[in-house]
Amino acid sequence: MKKRKWNGYLIAGAIITTIIVVWILVGRFYTPYPPTKMSSARLQGPSLAHLFGTDKFGRDIFSRVMQGSGTTLMIAALTILIGAGIGTIVGSITGYFGGIADEVLMRFNDALTAFPSILLALVIISILGSGKHNVIIALGIVFIPSYARMMRTAFAAQREVNYITSARLMGASSARILMVHMLPNTIHVLLPALTIGFNNAVLAEASMSFLGIGVTPPDVSMGYMLSEAQGMFRSAPWYALSVGGVIALLVFGVSLIGEGIQRMNKEVD
Amino acid sequence: MKYVVRRILALIITMIMVSFLAFAAFHIISGDPARAILGMNATESQLKVLRQEMGLDKPFMVQYLNWLIGFFTGNLGISYSYRQPVSELIAPKLKVTLLMVLISFVIIIVCSVPLGLRAAQKSRGRLEWLRTTIIQLCMAVPAFFLSILVSYVFGIIFKFFTPGDFPKIEKDLAGAVKYLFFAAVCIAIPRIAMAVRMLKSTLIEEMEKDYVRTAISRGNDRTEVLKKHVLKNSLVPTITFLGQTMAEIVGGSIVVEQVFGIPGMGRFLVASISNRDYPVVEALVVILAFWVILSGTLADLINQKIDPRLKLGGRA
Repeated sequence: MKKRKWNGYLIAGAIITTIIVVWILVGRFYTPYPPTKMSSARLQGPSLAHLFGTDKFGRDIFSRVMQGSGTTLMIAALTILIGAGIGTIVGSITGYFGGIADEVLMRFNDALTAFPSILLALVIISILGSGKHNVIIALGIVFIPSYARMMRTAFAAQREVNYITSARLMGASSARILMVHMLPNTIHVLLPALTIGFNNAVLAEASMSFLGIGVTPPDVSMGYMLSEAQGMFRSAPWYALSVGGVIALLVFGVSLIGEGIQRMNKEVD
Repeated sequence: MKYVVRRILALIITMIMVSFLAFAAFHIISGDPARAILGMNATESQLKVLRQEMGLDKPFMVQYLNWLIGFFTGNLGISYSYRQPVSELIAPKLKVTLLMVLISFVIIIVCSVPLGLRAAQKSRGRLEWLRTTIIQLCMAVPAFFLSILVSYVFGIIFKFFTPGDFPKIEKDLAGAVKYLFFAAVCIAIPRIAMAVRMLKSTLIEEMEKDYVRTAISRGNDRTEVLKKHVLKNSLVPTITFLGQTMAEIVGGSIVVEQVFGIPGMGRFLVASISNRDYPVVEALVVILAFWVILSGTLADLINQKIDPRLKLGGRA
């Protein structure tokens, strides 16, 4: 096997993502100003004192974005954990065992994917009500079918491969075969899908909160801030620009990582 | 022919499943529609009369069938918050969204095919990394952020249109199209980036095949081979992708309509969800789901038509 070599996309993506994630994580513990503290310095453009400027209540936008992106990041991470986690479990079982359960689950999957993802999330929200936790549940459910389908293919492809049949002959249990032998061999499919899913989750959360059916105050997220920023676009354009810029940079960084991993896989093949 | 029948049968079955899922979900969550319409002060006898009128006293399956028949005959029920037939409320909004989606679709096709061809041709060039980066960047910008920028730059600075003041389609079609054009661009840009990326990898894969090498080694022009043979053979995945695009841009329109203040289906859907106006939400959800299923089936049928190999059960 050829040695896996890091390529430019992967390096650039990793650098951008790391910087933003560290910045966001720092925002959990420390922000230059309290994010909700109002002051008399209203609608000021970016300066050294306020890097991203202030909004019409005199709140420091840099601090707000630092904190708000934390909510978005957490929602996206948990969403992917639910979606990819349950999706992998469903996909591995249906892909490995096949049979009736496989047929039924996949047809159900087809029906679910008929709804555009944001629509499905909106419907679930209309049932559960809005709020941070419900957004995570809704988006998590929305992401399950695509992961389930993908992982099903990845697991089914290995069903009759030599090392799996040998493992079976040696008397390994199905659980061991699935977890120890098959799962590591699906990583090359799973990793790029995780980066794409993460980005979709960030964008989906932002759109939902932007529409006012996602995260509710006192929680603040990127989408919520953007809808706030849209209202003051004429007086404080830097607000929308900095929020949108941070979202775009985060998504961009992660998708560069995905691109890098895909190219790396291609080179190894 | 047989394939067409089979595909349409599958289409109908999926539609029934989807509509049943939606109906069941809203049946459970909407509680008592009679009370929702009459309000908290209604007496028990008033409620009973309305329930009978609406058929709510019938068994669940009968209610579902009635609703399904109503759906196809244009009777979608009564909105809780407007007290008007849902179909009358939805029809004008559907028209606006449909027009916007069509404009967006045309923009996507017109831009992505030439760009994809070029990207595939120059895939070994020195600027390949720049092209990839631009594509990734276009996919990374959220549609609503783009919408805010576009409506500010073109609406407020250049005054090509007045944000928030959408002209009526019946009165001023040209004005409406102009207004929708800017929104359609915002929906299209991320999709164009995806299309170019997809086209590029499909074309490159096709170009590595033997028949292309033969054609070029026999002295045919590289660009001509690409346009005449490779593009033709890459049509099937492209049309599948366009089918998905057709479905996705409707979902994308929900947010963009909100920013531009376009009185379309997405905006109505969001408002109805906040108002818990379930008959409207239910109707819109099923319409959108049907739209998605239809676009997928249509793409499959077109593929079948242009590539006879698919009929034999083989993969192109």
